[in-house]
Order: sequence, then structure tokens, then C-alpha cells
Amino acid sequence: MVPTSYYILLSAILFTIGVLGVLLRRNAIVVFMSVELMLNAANLALVAFAREQLGVEAQVLVFFVITVAAAEVAVGLALLVAIFRTKRTADVDEVSTLKG
Amino acid sequence: MELILFLITAAVAIAGAVAMLISRNAVHSALFLLLNFGAIAVLFLLLRAPFLFAIQLTVYAGAIMVLFLFVVMLLGAEKVEDAPDRIAWQQPLALLLGLALLIVSVVVGLGSATTPPPDGEELIKFSDPRSLGELLFTDYLLPFEITGFILLIAVIGVVVLSQRGRKI
Amino acid sequence: MELLIWLIPLLPFIGFLLNVFVIRREREAGLVASGVVVAAFVVTLIAVAMLAGMPPEERRIVSTAWEWINTGSFRVPFAIMFDPLTAVMALLITGVGALIHIYSIGYMHGDPRVVRYFAYLNLFVTMMLFLVMANNLLLLFLGWEGVGLCSFLLIGFWFERKSAGEAAVKAFIVNRIGDAAFILAMLAVFTYFGTLNFYGDGEGGQIGFLERVSDIAGLRIGPDWQPIFVSTAISFLLLIGATGKSAQFPLFVWLPDAMAGPTPVSALIHAATMVTGGVYLMARTEALFTASFTTQGWVAWIGAVTALLAGTAAMAQWDIKRVLAYSTVSQLGFMVAACGMGAYVAAIFHLLTHGIFKALLFLAAGSVIHGTHDTQDMRRMGGLKDAMPITFRTYVIGALALAGIVPLAGFWSKDEILAHAISHGHTPIFIILFLTSLLTAFYMGRQVALVFFGTQRDPGYHPHESPAIMTVPLIVLAVGAVIGGVINLPVLHWLTDWLEPVLHEKAGEFNIWLALIATIGAVGTGYLGWWVYTTNAARIKIGGKDPAYRYSGDIWEGMEEAWYLDRLYQRTVVAGFEQLANFLARVFDPQGVDGLVMGIGRFFGGLANGVRALQTGYVRTYALVFTVGVLLVLGVMLWFAR
Repeated sequence: MVPTSYYILLSAILFTIGVLGVLLRRNAIVVFMSVELMLNAANLALVAFAREQLGVEAQVLVFFVITVAAAEVAVGLALLVAIFRTKRTADVDEVSTLKG
Repeated sequence: MELILFLITAAVAIAGAVAMLISRNAVHSALFLLLNFGAIAVLFLLLRAPFLFAIQLTVYAGAIMVLFLFVVMLLGAEKVEDAPDRIAWQQPLALLLGLALLIVSVVVGLGSATTPPPDGEELIKFSDPRSLGELLFTDYLLPFEITGFILLIAVIGVVVLSQRGRKI
Repeated sequence: MELLIWLIPLLPFIGFLLNVFVIRREREAGLVASGVVVAAFVVTLIAVAMLAGMPPEERRIVSTAWEWINTGSFRVPFAIMFDPLTAVMALLITGVGALIHIYSIGYMHGDPRVVRYFAYLNLFVTMMLFLVMANNLLLLFLGWEGVGLCSFLLIGFWFERKSAGEAAVKAFIVNRIGDAAFILAMLAVFTYFGTLNFYGDGEGGQIGFLERVSDIAGLRIGPDWQPIFVSTAISFLLLIGATGKSAQFPLFVWLPDAMAGPTPVSALIHAATMVTGGVYLMARTEALFTASFTTQGWVAWIGAVTALLAGTAAMAQWDIKRVLAYSTVSQLGFMVAACGMGAYVAAIFHLLTHGIFKALLFLAAGSVIHGTHDTQDMRRMGGLKDAMPITFRTYVIGALALAGIVPLAGFWSKDEILAHAISHGHTPIFIILFLTSLLTAFYMGRQVALVFFGTQRDPGYHPHESPAIMTVPLIVLAVGAVIGGVINLPVLHWLTDWLEPVLHEKAGEFNIWLALIATIGAVGTGYLGWWVYTTNAARIKIGGKDPAYRYSGDIWEGMEEAWYLDRLYQRTVVAGFEQLANFLARVFDPQGVDGLVMGIGRFFGGLANGVRALQTGYVRTYALVFTVGVLLVLGVMLWFAR
């Protein structure tokens, strides 16, 4: 049996890598991928806890997260395409019109 | 045996994630992320959640990653980071924050999970997709319907956003 | 009976409401307004007759409509009363008021705002009746302010003229000084008596403060080194209130300017009724005044000084209405001086006769102005006696009555005041008043000569006699001015007996020598005034100086300017306020207020400019800050989860 804490540790590492991806990468698509990575890390922790508690409900929740993530990716990528059309770039730093 | 399997899979997952983070080409990033997702799917299997394993593969590895690759190639955005970083000062700060976040989340996470998972009759029920399906169509029917609705809205939203020649 | 006395003030009020809300045509407005006042007069007559049928000690009817204010110990009923003093005042107000209303139909004919005029006039009569019928100081104050408001509205009736608007504002503001003192007096009365009622309602309830003046006898307030009697304090505050309303020195400056209003208004408000409100107040609260020897001295001297100042000022005026205005101030001074000497009956007697003959004079002057197409400068008149015979005759009767010629009304009342002064040892005041009465005869002689005798000096208009609707009230009032003295002839003293339950006075002795000397003096100076201005008529030029200016020089100028009191106020009070206003507008507002407001704006503008550097526009920076926030939240959770 693998202790739950191992999974949690892994989840934390993956989540942190996702955060670093958002903070460091400028390619909007890679930033988006990092967000997905964070979602997955969270899912992993959720399932690990579910396994510990033997709660089927947590699986339902993960199911919903995956579904909504699919919708979110679709809309997010459509937005990226729309931005690319006007800005001709996928660099998030170029999109800084809201500068004060 | 299971621990070894876990360690290998975990190593693959971390390697995939790190590779995604540092590769300069967006297409490579996407492929490394695919590797990571696969590893996570395996971990779901290790956690006795076969149904989630399946949808992780189909939805994430299958649908979402294809979408990513498709968009990267459509936009030709493989390499957008050739220009020097304008906010380079943020890099060390980000690394520092990442480290702090790791420590904090590990402490928070480990603080509540130490008991080893039990075995037996309950576990079989837990891993059975049928029990998940029953729950989904009885107690969680309304959220299920709402999720469907969200997907519909997402479809409409994507169509509207992708329309050409019209100001949104 | 109680219902009947409520009808007296309510009838004009109904007229007011009708004129405000229903009537739109001039003809109906005049008829309704006059009708309700005539009706009120008839009702008053009936009420007086019923009052006369009662035993003298019981001649007071108090009627409470409802509890007006009821907050703990402070209770004021909406109560009116009817006693001999109120009765004579109400008769004067409704009687003279009715005649003036009728006269106004002719005088205001063709004015575009005549309905509004009659509405104001009816409201005035209502308020004046409340003033004299109130059974407590607060209701009296309601009437007091109400007539002040109507006065303001009617002085400024022709507000297109800038001078009319200014005169209205001036009257209002000067009256405020007196009103402030009145309010203080009310507070003092409530503090020391616990009630504002004049008299109790006769049903075992509270008794009024006028019946309890002995409660404060010997009571002193103020700092240890200079305590004053409470009665002195209260009566002195009331005196200040009266000087504002009754146009006494030093607050009389508003009355001459108030002549900017229509002439019937001057007759009703600024001669016959409203300005006598102060005298009425003093007579009503006579118990308080007589309790204070100090105040009585002030009252007498203020009256005497006013009489003399205004009398001299009246001599040097060219405006036909300003002569009468200063004359009114002077005669009010007579009444106030009489109050100060304790001759309240004489004061009320003079108030009544003066109300009649001064109304007559004003209305006749209005007839002159009407007949000469709005001419008011006497230098442009002259020789009008042939063109307007009725006006001329009534005017002369009024002038003779005012001058105090036997046997007209003014003689008896004025003589009573003078006789009281000499018999009670007020010699300096007697001398001043006697001198003033001679001046009165002189300026009336001068005015009659200037207006009606000689030749017309300005050929620019054709004088004509006024219509019957205006001359009939003149004739009625002239009859009143002739026989008005009957009510208190020395041998009959009906008025003294009638007012005895209220004012507790015995009839004074008739001084035959004084009467003789006064009459001879009045006839002499009156004739002198007439003679000087008829023989020197050729020297009077339009816009020129008075013939007397050659002999008196600057003194005449001082008289013309009413001894520069107006200019004094202009230079001190008004100029001071203007400077303060200028300072506020030019310095304090732009630099103080604006500086503060703009300063706050600039401070936050600068702050925002500094803070906007944080808004880099880079999503990643926002994400960084967001992460810091997440860390903080997690850290806090960790801290508390320990």
C-alpha cells in the first residue's frame, strides 16, 4: 500500500510546477497547459483522499472537474485564437493594454 | 511491488511536468504534458479508480491535448519567447514563491493525510464504476445536468468567439 | 358665542382660500375679498353687542379649538379670546379693513395681479385678527409673523420695480430684529410662568401669566454685580419686539421705504393696523410693563424721541406718501409714549382715531396719486382742489384731524395723551410731544398747500376725480374722522369705561387750558405751514429745494434724510455685512472651501498617479501577486490549524 502522503507530496510538486509555468512562461498556450497541470494535480490529491476515505462522492467530483475543464479548455483556446487574430502573437506580455 | 510502480509513475509524471515547463517549443511542451497526463491516469488506476483512469485518458490525453496541439499548430505559436523577457526580474521571485508554495502545500497536505488506506469489501465497491454511475444519476443528477448545460454553453461560446468579421 | 368669535378671523381666511384656489377674475376677487371682510365686521359688531350685554367683570370669552402644542410641560392651546380690548381692535381692523378693501377695487382696477393682491389682503386681515384675538403669546406671534409676511408680500407687490423688492426685504429684515427679541421674551415668560396663555379659560384650568405677574415681583436675574428684575427683562424684550413692528426709534427706517407698496396697503398695514401691533402688545401685556419702572421709562422716551424725529423728518419730504409715512411713525411714537407713561387707554384711543384718519389720509393720497397718473412728488402737484373736490375735502378733514383741531377725532386722543403727561409729571416728555404736535400741524398745512393749492406745477397730466368706489370709503372715513372722538369724550369717557376690565384705568381729568393752548398752537402752526407754502409756491421747482432750505440749510437736509439713520445703518451694519460677504465670496470660498475641496482632489489624484505604477498590464505580474495572496491565505490557515 502506498501511503496517501506520497500522493499528496507528488500532487504538491506537480501543482508547484504548474504555478511556475504560469509565472515564468510567456507563450499563452504553455501558460494554459500549466493551468491544466494544476487542475490535474488537484484531481490527483482529491482521488488520493477519496481512496483513503473510500468516498465514491469524491470520484463524482473529479468527474465533474474533468468535464468542466474540458469546457474551459475549449472556451480558453477560442479566446486565445481571438486574441491572436487581433494581436498577431501568442505572447501574454504583448497583451498589456490595461497598463495603468 | 505497488510502491515501486508508484515511484516509477511519479518520476515519469514529474519528469513530464518539468520537461513541459522548460522546453522552448510549445509542441514539445504539449507532448510532455501528454506524458504527464498519462502518468496521472496510471496513478488513478493505482488508487483503484478505473473509471477516472478511463476518462482521464479519453478526455485529457485524447480530446484536450489534441485541441492544444491543434491550436499551437494553427496559430504557428511554437516559439514566441525568442524576444528578451521584459519582466525578467520576476523569474527569481517566481522561483522563490514556488518553493514557498511547495513547502506550505506539503505541510498543509501532509498534516491531514497519514493513515494508510484500508483494504477489503469496501474497496471493491469504491473501485466499481457502477457505484459511481448510481451516485451520478441519483444524488448528483442535478449537478450532472448542469454540467451538460455548461458544456452546451461552452460550445455556443466557442462558436461565437471564433466567428470572423464580427465585433464581439 | 364661541362659534361667533371664531367666525371673525375665519371669514377673511375663507376669502383668502377662495382667492388663492378658486377665483381667477378680477371682479369676483374684489367682491369676495370685500364681502368677507364686511361680513367679519358685521360679526364683530354682533359680538361686541353681546359682549356689552354681559356684566363688566365677565367680559372675556376664551375659546380653545384644539391643543396646538403638547410636549410635556410645554402646552400651547390654539385658543382665541374676545374681550373689550380685542373688541375695539377687531372693530378697527374689520371696519377700516372693509373700507380699504372696497377702495382697492377701484384703485387696483386693471392691475394684472389683482387676484393675488386681494388674496394677500385677506390673509393679512386674518393674521391681524389672530394677532389681536390670540389668548397666548405663541398664537399672537403667529399673527405677528403672518402680518409681517403679508407686509413683505404687499410691499414687494410690484416686484418689477427694484426699489419695491428692496423695500420689502428691508422691512422684513428690520422686523426680524424685533422678532428675535419677541421670541426671547416668550422663552422668558415660559421659564418664569410655565405658560404662554394670557388668561385662563375660566374653566378651572391653568391661569394665564398676565394674572400672575405678582409671582415674579422682586425676582431678579443676571450677574451678581448687575441683577435686573425679571419683569424688566421680559418687558424690555417685548419692547424691542414692539419697536420693530411699530416702527419705533431706532428701527423705524423700514416704514418710509414700505411706501413702495400699493397705497391701500400703506393705509391698511402701514398706518391703521399692523404697525399698531406693537402698541397693542404693550397694552395687552400692560401688567408686565407697569411692573417694571425701568422699562416704562425707556418706553416713554423711545416713543417721544421717535415722535420728534419722525415729525421733523415728515416736514421735509417731497413724496406725498413719505410725509404720511413719517407722520405715522411720529403718531406711533405718541402712542408708545402714552404706553410708557401708563396712559394705555389714551394710547388705544389714539390708535383707534389715528387708524381712522391716517387710513383716510392714505386713501385720499392714493386718490391723488390715482388722479394724477402715478405722480407722488408734491413738487409736480399743486392746484388739485378744483379737479378733485371730494378728495380735497376729505383730505383736509383728515389733515385737520391729524393736526388736532377741535372737535375732530385727533384732537381728543392727542389731548388725552398730553393731559396725562402733564398731570403725571412727565414734563420733558410733555414738551417733546407738544412740540411734535405743533410740527404735525405744520407739515399737514404744508402738504395741503403743496398738493391742493396754487397752480399745477407739472402740466404733463390731466388730474381727474376718482370713481365713486374710491370716494365713498373716503367720505365714510371722513365722517369717522370727524365724530371718532365721541367714543372717549372727556365727559363721557365711554372707551375708558369699556376698557376698564382689561386696563384698569380711571378716566383722566380734562385740562381745559392745555386743550386751548394746543388748539391755538395747532391752528397757528397749521396755518403757518399752509401760508408759507402758498405764498412761496412760485419758488417751488420740480426737483428743486424747499423754500425753507434757505433759512435752515443743512438742518433741513438732515430732516429730509430722517437724521441720517438710514445712512448710519448703511455704513455700519449693511456695509459690515457686505464686507463679510465679500470676504466670504472672494477670499474664503475660493481659497478656503475650494482649497480644501481641490486639495482633497489633488491629494487623491497624486496618490492614484503613484499607485498606477503597480498596474503594469502584465498578466504574469498579476499572477505573481495572486500567488503571494494564496501563500498568505495558506500561511494564515497553517498558523491557525496548528
